[in-house]
Amino acid sequence: MKSPALSIDALNKVVAAWPEDNLATSRRAALDQLRQDGIPGSREENWKYTDLSGAVAIANRWLEAGAEVPCAGIAAANDIVRNIDADWIVIDNGQIDAQALDATAIAGVEIKRHSSSSERLTPSGRLGDLNAALLRDGLRISIAASAELARPIGILIVDHSDSAATVSQIRVDIDLAANSSASFIEYHTSDGIAEIYANSVVNVTLGDGSRADYVRIQDRDRLHEQTGYQSFTVGRDAELRHCAFDFGGRLVRNDLVIDLANPGGNAEFAGLYLIGDGQHIDNHTRADHRAGPTESRQEYRGILTGKARGVWNGKAIVHEGADGTDAEQANHNLVLSKQAEIDAKPELEIYTDDVKCSHGTTVGQLDETALFYLRTRGLSRHDAKQVLTRAFAQAIVGKSPISSLHDFLADRIAGRLDQLMQETDA
Amino acid sequence: MLEVKNLKASIGGTEILRGLSLHINAGEVHAIMGPNGSGKSTFAQVIAGHSDYEVTDGTVEFNGKDLLELEPEERAREGIFLGFQYPVEIAGVNNAYLLKAAVNAKRKHQGLDEIDAFEFLKLAREKMALLGMDPKFLNRGVNEGFSGGEKKRNEILQMAMLEPSLAILDETDSGLDIDALRAVAEGVNALRTPDRAIVLVTHYQRLLDYIEPDYVHVLSEGRIVRSGDKSLALELEEKGYDWVREAANG
Repeated sequence: MKSPALSIDALNKVVAAWPEDNLATSRRAALDQLRQDGIPGSREENWKYTDLSGAVAIANRWLEAGAEVPCAGIAAANDIVRNIDADWIVIDNGQIDAQALDATAIAGVEIKRHSSSSERLTPSGRLGDLNAALLRDGLRISIAASAELARPIGILIVDHSDSAATVSQIRVDIDLAANSSASFIEYHTSDGIAEIYANSVVNVTLGDGSRADYVRIQDRDRLHEQTGYQSFTVGRDAELRHCAFDFGGRLVRNDLVIDLANPGGNAEFAGLYLIGDGQHIDNHTRADHRAGPTESRQEYRGILTGKARGVWNGKAIVHEGADGTDAEQANHNLVLSKQAEIDAKPELEIYTDDVKCSHGTTVGQLDETALFYLRTRGLSRHDAKQVLTRAFAQAIVGKSPISSLHDFLADRIAGRLDQLMQETDA
Repeated sequence: MLEVKNLKASIGGTEILRGLSLHINAGEVHAIMGPNGSGKSTFAQVIAGHSDYEVTDGTVEFNGKDLLELEPEERAREGIFLGFQYPVEIAGVNNAYLLKAAVNAKRKHQGLDEIDAFEFLKLAREKMALLGMDPKFLNRGVNEGFSGGEKKRNEILQMAMLEPSLAILDETDSGLDIDALRAVAEGVNALRTPDRAIVLVTHYQRLLDYIEPDYVHVLSEGRIVRSGDKSLALELEEKGYDWVREAANG
């Protein structure tokens, strides 16, 4: 697999027809960069397990067909908005409803569209240029200094297409001013029988002494593909609590990049992927310790069935001078079928002496002794398996920083595990 | 209640039980004693249905049913309880959750409704008080971080909640200090009823000071080589297991 070839000409033609708005300069710059760098391919170490040629093929088909945006709205989105308590902002097939946005008023929060600002978009990851080149509009959410938000801000990213291959670009930039605290739910969902490729970019800056609780939930249809880039820049004595859940998607690549450039910065992040036949989920995390003392702790867990393919790559880099760094990485996998595959790789790069770093990775099956124990208490083999897998997953729910989501997540996990186990038993 | 005839079982091709026969009636307490490697624990695991052991010969009837045909969970629901020598730690599974699931699995099998939540808590608290267990243990992970004594008490708590007709307690006394031993024995004695049988699998006579057996059997090389009343246990304590081995071989 070389770099998948994106049809730049078609892309150029599509974007040239768009109105000359505030984002036009950023789009053109991104397009030039994209022309130069291309789409990441398997020759790049960071992309060797995840083949984007399917996503690029969707993009080419969509571009060549004139890059139409299908009608918006799916029923599942209403359920999410109803069932999860948050101030919701909906991004529908990559589009932001300006009217709805203007009606959203949250004390201590300012929300603006990128198209209303002349500011240039900042570079954001290997697929950030694709995102910027095709971005119709994005959001900037600013939390005022010392503001403490009572409810989470929900960003619901919905994609839907029944007719033709569709692509959406999502971009959200969040700034937490000094000593503020806020929680965020980034929820991805999709439906429809056509192919979809969604590419999202979220950049969060945590001001000094601020705190962000962030939960990302990806529950797309299993025909759809997604790449998502998230960056967090953590200020002095600022705290990030992050938790990510992947349930759906055919091919999903998540990049989580955490920059600890200021003393006292602290990041705890966790993730869970529950994946079955025909799914490929790749989580790449990177924590840069540029100053000391800083802390990063991560634990990702996966449950894989059928022919699922999982990738976890956790990198911690302790830069020169980042004395007093404490970095911890863990990845545990429960592999419930012979055909499932997981590539787990912790990476530590240390360029200073005074550090505390640890990592651990496990790949295993359900404990037969525990299964037998539960069965001698009257639980069927099926129930015993379910109890054990749920308990394995529940450990990550417990780490999720937004406690009002715990019941929702536990239910969703139970439902998804039921599906996965049925596939395994069949 | 339990009729074991000429039971032979092996693990990984090695024969452990070599023709064990045993008859247990309701209301009786039997002690099975024997040196390490004599097959005591294997017997307990085979009765509970552990799939690592292959039964190669013999029959086991439980209340008229062919026990060997049943899955471990079916045996449990029919009223067999195995108290583990090494209770398994199950992180993330709440103790109360397991107790309730176990009670309800049995109730469902008996055609009863699920236990009322309030009733369940009341019952669990009562049994815990009897065993000298802090009610906080209900909300902890199953055996997670429990001491040896706490784990054994937890086994007896499960037994008390499940009210089995046949309880097999595998080395329940191992790793217990005298207070824990007393509490566990009290818990077991409270469950001694005319409709229930209890089998104590033990290496030492000590437990039998607290739970008095009706019958004592000595197991050696996979067979019962001697049976008697509780005085046999005292005799064993005095003369050691070599005495039985010699008697068996001679």
